[in-house]
Amino acid sequence: MAGVVLDGVTKSYGKKRGVADLSLEVGDGEFFVVLGPSGAGKTTTLKAVAGLVELDGGRVAIGGRDMEGVQPYHRRVAMAFESYALYPQKTVSQNLASPLRSGRTGSYSESEQRTRIEAVTTTLGIDHLLERFPRELSNGQRQRVALGRVLVRPADAYLLDEPLSHLDAKLRAAMRAELKQLGSMSSTTSLYVTHDYQEALALGDRVAVLREGRLVQVGTPEDVWERPVDSFVAKALGQPEINLLDAVVDGGELVAAEGAVRVPVPRGAELRAGDRARVGIRPRDLTLVPGDDVVGGAPDRGQAVLADEGARAVRVEGRVRLAERLGRAVELEVDLGGGRHHLIAVDESEAPLAEGDAVRLAVPAARVHVFAHGAPGEDTAAVRPAAPPADGRPAAVAAGPRTTTEDTR
Amino acid sequence: MAAAELMPGQRRFTPAAVGADLLLLVWFVFSLFPLLWLVLLSLKTSAEQTSTYFAFSPTLENFSTVLSDQGTRLTSVNFLSALVSSVLSCGGAVLVSLVIGIPAAYAAGRWRFRGSDDLMFTILSFRFAPELMVIVPLFVIYNQIGLFDTKLGLVWVLQLVTMPLVIWILRSYFEDLPEDLEQAALLDGYTRRRAFVMVALPLVRPGIAAAALLAFIFAWNSYIFPLILTGGTNGTITVAVARYLGGGGQAYYNLTAAAALIGALPPLVLALTIQRYLVRGLSFGAVKS
Repeated sequence: MAGVVLDGVTKSYGKKRGVADLSLEVGDGEFFVVLGPSGAGKTTTLKAVAGLVELDGGRVAIGGRDMEGVQPYHRRVAMAFESYALYPQKTVSQNLASPLRSGRTGSYSESEQRTRIEAVTTTLGIDHLLERFPRELSNGQRQRVALGRVLVRPADAYLLDEPLSHLDAKLRAAMRAELKQLGSMSSTTSLYVTHDYQEALALGDRVAVLREGRLVQVGTPEDVWERPVDSFVAKALGQPEINLLDAVVDGGELVAAEGAVRVPVPRGAELRAGDRARVGIRPRDLTLVPGDDVVGGAPDRGQAVLADEGARAVRVEGRVRLAERLGRAVELEVDLGGGRHHLIAVDESEAPLAEGDAVRLAVPAARVHVFAHGAPGEDTAAVRPAAPPADGRPAAVAAGPRTTTEDTR
Repeated sequence: MAAAELMPGQRRFTPAAVGADLLLLVWFVFSLFPLLWLVLLSLKTSAEQTSTYFAFSPTLENFSTVLSDQGTRLTSVNFLSALVSSVLSCGGAVLVSLVIGIPAAYAAGRWRFRGSDDLMFTILSFRFAPELMVIVPLFVIYNQIGLFDTKLGLVWVLQLVTMPLVIWILRSYFEDLPEDLEQAALLDGYTRRRAFVMVALPLVRPGIAAAALLAFIFAWNSYIFPLILTGGTNGTITVAVARYLGGGGQAYYNLTAAAALIGALPPLVLALTIQRYLVRGLSFGAVKS
């Protein structure tokens, strides 16, 4: 039982940055997910907690105890490696017994070892593989053995490096559901690393988003989903990716795609007429609005209608350029404003639209995200309504645009 | 583009390909011919030893001469005791190299620091410095501290030959070993030393076999060091074989050939015994994880 604290942890590999000035506080018993694309420093973060990398700076504390100079085998943490790291010359049951036989995780008699291994392997559905060698297992089975080697022992913290990444989609969904129900998992502080936003949102008590070794945002799954701190976080979560459109403030509205999209300026946001910004709309937030006039003689150029000021819905009209069936839903690429701009939307109706059809979309204004203006490909901070001003200053366009081209090499 | 697709293993029959095969065949015969010559020579009588005919009445007399007192009288070196001396000193040198070299190779493979490549290169450079360059000072030192013509002295000098080999070969094996495995052992609660013994060591066994064999062969074939640093009692097989070439007296080519063939047996036997490990050693690292 112990919380994990990282304070200003910095580690680089030669000129390659691992993590930079990373500070996190993981509560006792919390299931904490670290999300980020490859190379974001997720694994380095775990290895820093485990004591497997020497830090260039910063501290790690587990259970309130500073881990400076504490060897990995004294830290009482268990880790599942992305590469499984199963001992190839040992059978599954020998692999699982390894942490129980070291003498540093408690002492267990032969029968206690067997009981523990049996319990874990039954839970993970690998109890029929005990006498196999790792090379005789599928990747999914290997991954479960690696997970089993973590769960079989008591630990202050579990460190899980993409433990579901190599499972096939079906098994992954099943394991995701099971994982949180595992008794030990729910009571032990867990740091869980993944690049899969669905896993992060589904499993995490809290989620930290990393980018190029830096912490971008940390919060509950609702927080990072509803209130992404910048366009990077917004893009990292959700499939299909969030639509980002450049916009200009005009008459209390953010006007994008040559007038095809008009979004009311969020109340309290410090945006004046003529200011430039970006609007972000998640494809799954867009709903198809039925309308006879659309199906009939639809206007050639999409035109946005800002109606229902009460419901504050943003309406967009356009024409389907591309309809791609993805299982039950159809992903639509909708041309706006003469085809120079487009939106991705998801059509889950019984009779999905076809390419060339005119379409009318709606999204609640509250679900539209507004970000600072930036160059194409650049990630920019979210424009926040003037929420409780913590430091007395009105919240506004947080800092300036952040560049993605920040080259440290 | 015009050429038809070939199946793997299928040959293209062109003059160039045939020519290349012929060249290879010539080269093959050329390189194996000395070995054939050696075998034939060892079966010839003293009267025929300088003839270049391949037709002769073969005899095993040379082998029995080399292994008997008669050979000792001819060369004033007991061939069998030289054989024993070689086995002991080469085995000893390989053993010392493994005991010191395996941990050294592990450290070199895992611990990168400023100048670690330079250090490794320095270790290798012991190998390409000509032995003749250091033999005079070594001779003087050996005489002064009483290592001349001793087994310990022989082990000590042969270990110079084998150690760099062992370290270099095993370093690459350790480098190929995923670090995650030992890290997993550390988190299982094992110290670094136990993680090394439990995880890393069993996995590089093929490498150890390959390195040990290669080191043994190099030590076995070493000539200059034993020639200068031993006297009558602890001379090695290479020195004993060369004695048949004369050194003041008559040159017995047929006996030399027989002695050389006997002398080549121990490394051959060793290679065959650990062949199983060698093949695995060569294919190690070819498949990821």
